[in-house]
Amino acid sequence: MDVVVREVMVPAPPAEVWPVLTDSDEMSTWFGADAEIDARPGGRGVFRWADGTERPVVVEEVESERRLAFRWLPFQRTAGGHVVAVPSTRVEITLDEVPGGTRVRVVERPAFSLGTARPRSAGGLLAAIGA
Amino acid sequence: MKPNPADAIFTALADATRRQVIRALSEQGPSTATGLAANLPVTRQAVAKHLSALAEAGLVTATRRGRENLFQISPRPLTNAVSWMADLGARWDQRLAALRDHIAVPRRRR
Repeated sequence: MDVVVREVMVPAPPAEVWPVLTDSDEMSTWFGADAEIDARPGGRGVFRWADGTERPVVVEEVESERRLAFRWLPFQRTAGGHVVAVPSTRVEITLDEVPGGTRVRVVERPAFSLGTARPRSAGGLLAAIGA
Repeated sequence: MKPNPADAIFTALADATRRQVIRALSEQGPSTATGLAANLPVTRQAVAKHLSALAEAGLVTATRRGRENLFQISPRPLTNAVSWMADLGARWDQRLAALRDHIAVPRRRR
């Protein structure tokens, strides 16, 4: 299991869902963190959690009312002010118009694949990271 | 966001030499730093240092054998990495439920 895929149906057309995904204030209402995001390719963003943790992202893909992709950068600032390394992952959010609203699909995957976790062998993981 | 054990694993594996060390270990089976260094382009001291970083991340385990440690691959961190992915999924479940509620509520008010 090296990819997270989640979907939700929302009762609004993509045109109404899109700003909720790309506007910092709107995003802050559902993301679980204060969002500050520049939703343009190459745009930067930062998410701030209530405990003081901060994580930066860089926006990679923007297709209006259709797709937003961003990458979590591989470090975060902890509540104590330390900068620590964390796994980098890529998040892709896709909107599909369906009867009654929009299907929102999220795919989050590591910057490299975890491979197949085979007991007693790190082969899958190592192959996946090109070791 | 809480720190998690997967962080240590990814950090440990970010180093190319360390990946070489762990691959050699998975090919050779349980080995000492001396045994691994024989097949790697680095010194025994460097291998030992990398092995202790890998052990700290829980990727390898060490057992004392004579004057040296015998290292072997530990399967457990892979399970941790998988559970880290499960945490990511749980976070999206929460976010998407909140997104749905956020979109549904204002619409009822319109």
